[in-house]
Amino acid sequence: MSALWDRFFGRSNAGSKEDAKSRLKVLLVHDQVELTPPQMEKMKAEIMAVIARYADIDGDRIELKLERVESGGVSLVSSIPVKRVTSRAAG
Amino acid sequence: MSECIVITSGKGGVGKTTTTANLGVALAMQGKRVAVVDADIGLRNLDLILGLENRIVYDLVHVIEGECKLRQALIKDKRLDGLYLLPAAQTRDKNAVSPDGMRKLVAQLKEEFDYVLIDCPAGIEQGFKNSVAGADRAIIVTTPEVSAIRDADRIIGLVEAAELPEPTLIVNRFRAKMVARGDMMSREDILEILAIPLIGLVPDHEDIIVSANRGAPAAFDEKSIVGEEYRRIARRVLGEADVPFVALDVPDTAWTILKRWMGLSGAREVAQ
Repeated sequence: MSALWDRFFGRSNAGSKEDAKSRLKVLLVHDQVELTPPQMEKMKAEIMAVIARYADIDGDRIELKLERVESGGVSLVSSIPVKRVTSRAAG
Repeated sequence: MSECIVITSGKGGVGKTTTTANLGVALAMQGKRVAVVDADIGLRNLDLILGLENRIVYDLVHVIEGECKLRQALIKDKRLDGLYLLPAAQTRDKNAVSPDGMRKLVAQLKEEFDYVLIDCPAGIEQGFKNSVAGADRAIIVTTPEVSAIRDADRIIGLVEAAELPEPTLIVNRFRAKMVARGDMMSREDILEILAIPLIGLVPDHEDIIVSANRGAPAAFDEKSIVGEEYRRIARRVLGEADVPFVALDVPDTAWTILKRWMGLSGAREVAQ
């Protein structure tokens, strides 16, 4: 019913274009840096292994992605929730 | 001051040849002297779209190899003063021409014409390199589809690598109704991804098929809405600012139809 309502007033509702956009955004960055999704996974695992030596991290909530920045370049963006910093960090 | 513009896309079938033909016609209608050059050697089609296929004697490869004079190979469009076609060779392949050969050819054409438009072949190999060689700037043609946009992004990178200035974009086969219901990327969506200036938003319209059948580009047709967009693209190419896109005229809803009945608005229907 709300779709009909939206259509009557010429409003848009989220359709397949959102899939197109989100898939393209990921793809174009990877085209640019020539890094495949399996390579990304491997990099993520290696980075996690290093951080885990210093901090107790929440492995399920780690985000690691490549994003396009305004200047046209690519930036590696990560969010790594830390449960607690361990004292094992001593070199 | 003359200029050479290459019309390119990466992906095939998005409308490079149609765009080149229509932009050539529209620029000539503005009183410019225009040469349209078919650089798709072995797969020529610009002649067909322009309705000049029966008048070819010599082609671009003949000129570059010195077998004829440039003047002998140029075909004058009898419908419009100032519009000329330099056809591609049909029986040769892309390696018959080098970037250097193209540069010299373009320099020669620029002495006689205000605008030299190059219809680039699909792909990113020799034909692309040749087409870009003599160009001063590039127009990228895409459609609102994921595959075309991906290839357009790649081509933008290659155009920048060829040290041309920032290219401009023409989005072809745009369907306002699909955009309105969220099933086609909008102008803003596409620009968010490709991030180059938009100079054309061409509605998907059956006039394009009809005009190709007849060999008379839609830009000739004063009543055609898609022809109108090509004429507006020509004005934008010539530097006119704030020329509205025909595809963004307000789409009809029950409310706009009602308003028009009551004489409150002159909103025009978007061609689909």
